[in-house]
Amino acid sequence: MNIYQPHLMTVVDTIDETSDTRTLRLEFADQELRESFEFRAGQFGEYSVFGAGESTFCIASPPTRKGFIECSFKAIGKVTNALREVNTGDTIGFRGPYGNWFPVDDWRGKDVVFIAGGIGLAPVRCVIWNVLDRRDEFGEVTIVYGARSVGDLVYKRELEEWAARDDVRLVTTVDPGGQTSDWSGQVGYVTPIVEATAPKAENAVAVLCGPPIVVKLTLPVLGKLGFADEAIFTTLENRMKCGLGKCGRCNIGPVYVCKDGPVFTAAQLKALPAEF
Amino acid sequence: MTDSTDTRSERPVSERCFISEAGLRDLTADLLESGTEVIAPVAEEICASPSAVASAACRMPGETPVEIEYRRLTDAAELDVSRGLPVLSLKGFFLPEHEALFCWEQRGTTITIKPVPTTFAPRVVLAAKPCDSAALEIVDKVMNWGHEDELWNGRRAATTIINLTCPSIDESCFCTAVDLAPDSTKGADGLLIPVEGGYLFEPSTDRGREFAEAHKRHFASGCGGEEHRNRQAEDERAAARTRVAANLEIDAASVRDWIDTHFEDPLLAALGARCNGCGACTSVCPTCHCFDIIDEQTGVGQGTRRRCWDGCQSRLFTLHASGHNPRDTQGARYRQRLNHKFAIYPLKFGEVLCTGCGRCTRVCHAGQDLVEILAAIDVAARRPGTTTSPQEDGGSSAAPPAEEQVAS
Repeated sequence: MNIYQPHLMTVVDTIDETSDTRTLRLEFADQELRESFEFRAGQFGEYSVFGAGESTFCIASPPTRKGFIECSFKAIGKVTNALREVNTGDTIGFRGPYGNWFPVDDWRGKDVVFIAGGIGLAPVRCVIWNVLDRRDEFGEVTIVYGARSVGDLVYKRELEEWAARDDVRLVTTVDPGGQTSDWSGQVGYVTPIVEATAPKAENAVAVLCGPPIVVKLTLPVLGKLGFADEAIFTTLENRMKCGLGKCGRCNIGPVYVCKDGPVFTAAQLKALPAEF
Repeated sequence: MTDSTDTRSERPVSERCFISEAGLRDLTADLLESGTEVIAPVAEEICASPSAVASAACRMPGETPVEIEYRRLTDAAELDVSRGLPVLSLKGFFLPEHEALFCWEQRGTTITIKPVPTTFAPRVVLAAKPCDSAALEIVDKVMNWGHEDELWNGRRAATTIINLTCPSIDESCFCTAVDLAPDSTKGADGLLIPVEGGYLFEPSTDRGREFAEAHKRHFASGCGGEEHRNRQAEDERAAARTRVAANLEIDAASVRDWIDTHFEDPLLAALGARCNGCGACTSVCPTCHCFDIIDEQTGVGQGTRRRCWDGCQSRLFTLHASGHNPRDTQGARYRQRLNHKFAIYPLKFGEVLCTGCGRCTRVCHAGQDLVEILAAIDVAARRPGTTTSPQEDGGSSAAPPAEEQVAS
């Protein structure tokens, strides 16, 4: 098999999350692959619009839901703008799954704290649903999610769903100035909201994803709350072309985000050169 | 040094066979006659402009300036084995500058993918430079890291490579400093060693032995029984090694460990100061294999996804769509190049991503000299806890401007 040749996928649904962020639900055109395709929470793929090129995103739907995958992206470059234009019934390309995953099975019996900023909820959402679909296996589930403004919050329907559950503690926040008159969530940056939420660190893991500044500022706060670096997981993004460790651009020092990652613990992150 | 050619030279000389100059040409003609693609160094006359002459492989007074390049031969007479290093390595014959990964056609919402062949017709490279064949074996590792690159592997499997003991050592060569040699057969199937009247051919793989067997009518019977030729061959090999070794000696393991543990060291930033990011070094490098993947629309509803050479010295190489760039200064990008070649690749795959061919130095219009740079790192690595600037060590790199001092 030529490793650069994608599978064909049919767009079965498109959801506008924000003015510039869209989710696509995709089904493999090949019936057999649709049934056999498996991945783990945190893995990513190369999505392509034929004629525009390929772009790298995580698989945003959980592995516990079969028959389709979803990706969420912000229309910001050539490929993502082309993906923004595709409609239900259109065909796109997909290569994957690539990379490592969140060790969800190792978290059985533990509390799980999810922290995400902006579009960083996409990879975290996959893990959230993975955990919620196996709810009995885990302790308390806390989700802290923030965006610049109410309009920038993604997965709004799911935020409502999580808020309505009594087995999930959801805290949503928007940056000061980003609130609307009917906003009932918090107002403030993600990091201080995490500190105020103060999830307990004992027998718990934290999953953190967001803009580099959110990750950078939140790591010490989690440390202060008592989370060990080995108990904090994040997923990194770097520009990639192949996703297979060959095209040579996603490395951070000796670590290839596409093969050694994209999931890293804070302990692994701290050992890397400051070049991400 | 742990060069495997040392053990090879202990192989029974009976494996060696003599081929005359004329025999090599006849063999080449036979291959071409049979429809086999033959890739070999060819001399191309170039215009006599001062800049072209200055960079030409042959610039002796009175001689026509030429550039050497590996080409698909159309005639055995084109074969030019005795002159300088080809401008570009063999890389492009295995990882073309751009190549189709597949084609597609769209009718309505239906997309049809048309695969490209991943098997190739047998072909032969003659008189390859040892630094160029070795590069292929080094790059094999990344091309087979986890997922196997069928296009690369297909071309590798189809190609018999016959090296020639390097006839063109200059001050930029340093293959012996990276565990290779001007008579290495790493990545090749055999070696031609110049002797009086022709060459001794020494196969190094079964494919090389089969090659000699298949073309035995061009090789002298008795295969190397003539002692003076064997002695000549050994002298030729030893002399070539001595010539290169005089350029640079480093402890590659110390260099690797030093780079790996000195990411923020001012020396690494200083070494990149002259680089202006043109990327010529990555193009001419036999081991630089980084690529981009792009879509090319070839008509209405049809196109080709292509892989094209790309290089870490370009700002766009790592630029995120958001505008964030993890390597946003040229200093960071040059450090990446050194790091990838001399620390990251050795740590992952056990050998440096460099064959010491010296092309990057020869092609650099900013004067970046890898011999000088490695020597400076080697000095730093041998003095744990200290750093030096290339100036202190006889180099001429200027201190970098403040913004190029890549901070955390």
